[in-house]
Amino acid sequence: MQLLKKLKKASPGWFLLTVGIIILLLIPNLNIIINLFGEAGENWEHVRNYLLVNYFQNSLILVLATGLLAAFLGAGLAWVIAAYNFPGRDFLSWGLILPLAIPPYIGAYVYQGMFSYTGPLQTFLRNKFQLRLSQQYFDFMNIRGAIFIYTIFLFPYVFLMTRAFLSKQSASLLESSRLLGKSDNTIFFKIILPLSRGAVVAGSSLVMMEVLNDYGVVKYFGISTFTTAIFKSWFGMGDLPTSVRLAVMAMLVIFVVLFIEKLLRGGRKYSYSTSNIRPVSRRKLEGSRKVLAQLFTYGVFFFGFLLPTVQLLYWSFLSRGGGLMETLHFAFTSFLTGGGAAVLILTGAVIIATTARMSSNFVSNLLARITILGYSIPGAVIAVGVLLFMLQLDGVLSFLQTGFGIEANVVLSSTLVMLIFAYAVRFMGIAFNSVNSGYEKIGESYFEASRTLGKGVTETFFKIDLPMLKPALMSGFLLVFIEIMKELPLTMILRPFNFDTLATKAFEYASDEMIYRAADLSLVLIFFSAAAIYLITHHRRRKNNAVRN
Amino acid sequence: MKKLIIVTIIISIFVGLGTAAAAAEEVNLYTNRHYDTDEEILNRFTEETGIEVNVLKGDSDQLIERIAREGKNSPADVLITADAGRLHRAKERDILQSVSTETLTQNVPANLRDEDNYWYGLTIRGRVIVYSKDRVDPEDLAGYGDLTSDQWQDKIVVRSSENIYNQSLLASLVSIYGEKWAEDWAAGIVDNMARKPQGNDRAQATAVAAGEGDLAIMNTYYLGKMINSDNPAEVEVAENVGIHFPDGENGTHINVSGAGVVKNAPNKDNAVKLLEYLSSASAQKFFASANYEYPVNPEVEASELLQSWGDFETQNINLTELGIHNQTAVRIFNRVGWQ
Repeated sequence: MQLLKKLKKASPGWFLLTVGIIILLLIPNLNIIINLFGEAGENWEHVRNYLLVNYFQNSLILVLATGLLAAFLGAGLAWVIAAYNFPGRDFLSWGLILPLAIPPYIGAYVYQGMFSYTGPLQTFLRNKFQLRLSQQYFDFMNIRGAIFIYTIFLFPYVFLMTRAFLSKQSASLLESSRLLGKSDNTIFFKIILPLSRGAVVAGSSLVMMEVLNDYGVVKYFGISTFTTAIFKSWFGMGDLPTSVRLAVMAMLVIFVVLFIEKLLRGGRKYSYSTSNIRPVSRRKLEGSRKVLAQLFTYGVFFFGFLLPTVQLLYWSFLSRGGGLMETLHFAFTSFLTGGGAAVLILTGAVIIATTARMSSNFVSNLLARITILGYSIPGAVIAVGVLLFMLQLDGVLSFLQTGFGIEANVVLSSTLVMLIFAYAVRFMGIAFNSVNSGYEKIGESYFEASRTLGKGVTETFFKIDLPMLKPALMSGFLLVFIEIMKELPLTMILRPFNFDTLATKAFEYASDEMIYRAADLSLVLIFFSAAAIYLITHHRRRKNNAVRN
Repeated sequence: MKKLIIVTIIISIFVGLGTAAAAAEEVNLYTNRHYDTDEEILNRFTEETGIEVNVLKGDSDQLIERIAREGKNSPADVLITADAGRLHRAKERDILQSVSTETLTQNVPANLRDEDNYWYGLTIRGRVIVYSKDRVDPEDLAGYGDLTSDQWQDKIVVRSSENIYNQSLLASLVSIYGEKWAEDWAAGIVDNMARKPQGNDRAQATAVAAGEGDLAIMNTYYLGKMINSDNPAEVEVAENVGIHFPDGENGTHINVSGAGVVKNAPNKDNAVKLLEYLSSASAQKFFASANYEYPVNPEVEASELLQSWGDFETQNINLTELGIHNQTAVRIFNRVGWQ
């Protein structure tokens, strides 16, 4: 036993690499947090007196309502997909993840464009039926509209996590309840929902973080939230300390919500495990129940993916394919940047996860916390931290260069290095989680066997772990790729000269209300993300089928 | 094969980074404008002068913040951004430098540039009253002050005060009539609003056409954009509304989109050349009409569409005032509850 422990110790090389990466990830965050302990900004007093209550109310309403709605929608859909068979079910089991491919800000522009006075719906009613309805029925640009947008485009986080949980856990419970004559509704509310509470809450807290960090939708709808306030006080008033204070308060909102959930849950534990894991046998639906299930699932798919995509196609058609070369150019940039950055981030994540696996629980938990830090801080705030860090680094570099008489004049702060580093700070947590769950699935016996047989840590990693990690690496890569494709604030603030991605360009056009021009770019963006989602789900499915056969 | 692809991607990214800083004569431009015609104008500048233009596009406020953070290492030579209030903010943040040449003085009228020559206006927009042709008699309209009268109770639509255009409008009123008057005015507008502020300027014109309100406060170029929209319904909206240039005691509030040379510009001479070129008669016509704006250069005529809207009197202040009173304006908005 003692020997085994020693064999599992990380080699110094791995450990040092990990420490290096972690320090790099932490510095930008620390750069920001330090601002909190300085004096309050000159505008803080004014912000607190006149605006804070409003920010707080709006953010809380948005976060809570979206969190709850997404939880119910995601869990409900996961249940229907996991427990029933009906025509179209196989397609929807991954089709319902597709709304994630549409960034909420693009969704917001599309929906507003569709329902506005000059949009296709009202124009059609006016021209065909001379119908002029009061504008209040079509008013989308308010808190309710924002909640709808966030829910319909972000619920897949809950859906994904709950479905994965249900497919692993519930077979025998479900069958017992059915045998005992419980109705499906009772089973859902009394058994499934409480049982999968952990998964639902985890998914829903991702949704809430996204909502709190989102800038595009609230900016467009004119809703004051913490995020718009952070931008306003920092960029509008040039007051960084005030915006950092607001960022910390925004994070408190999430902690409070999660804390309340924990209190409500109390000491109860809902996890349930059995060695007898097998897929749920799905019940075939007939008659009205079949129609109902189809209406529900297809309905969500329709509003979350089909309708906005078709509308974009129509707009793209109207713009007569203008700027095709331009679109291809931006697609290429996005693809290359997203792909390259994702590879680098995955490499970092594998190094950290491998070290974490060989360390004590305390250390590996700590590593997980640190990597996810960047995901919970608003993108704009990370951007400042990264910029400050790169400028410090440039100072050191130029000092070294003059010191050694080299004339290379390397400046990092206006290159792609800075942006890619910022992506790493923000998305390392996602990559780390994927790799880590991959390691959990593999277990430790192969690793231990290889070590006992006298192979080194590094050799074991390349010969044993890496090939087995492949599926996890693949899905981690694609998840990070999708996030980078959709990413807005970091790219907008930190990009180098002559650099545009699909997302930044689409946002520029859309915020200029040139939605027709934005349509092509949005479609390509959605296509890339959707393709990545398809690859993730079908890669897994092929593997599952292979196991089953 | 897969490994090869990945390696190629990584290498090509880093090679791409290295080759960025090769050109001999260049100027680095940070701009908030993103019109296709700009590219042509800049290409023509390169043809005439041999100076390559590197462009970084972005949100105005974020560009200013970025230059400030980059400090003395900033590669930025020229900053182009909309609104005199913002240009003034850039001057206050100490990221611009004063430049003055005969050509610039000739091309840009005195009231449209910074009093210390830190920035120069390039294109002009007016903030006007747009009214419903069906329900409003333009004879009833006068200056901004009259918008607070009871006649327009629940009739006015306007965007959020977070927007710099509204801040600059209020700043101009603070400058002309004083803070007390401006605060009463803002409170009066809030009373007369038909709905909570939402959407951008274009959405306000649409709201008037849809009957949600009778009057909208908005910038001129948005109407130009709507008239030339790909969407027939939007063109219809633009046809159903009229444009009134506020008159009365003081004229229409105008603002500029303008440019300044960055404090630590590595290519200062080229930066000045670019400014001179953009304000020159040959560039002004395209530069202004790309966004349906009025040229600053007095030798150049506005586009036909803009001329068809007629001449108007402008507020008699130096635009530097908009920057000086910006903070006052923001605080007034927050106090009177103009969201």
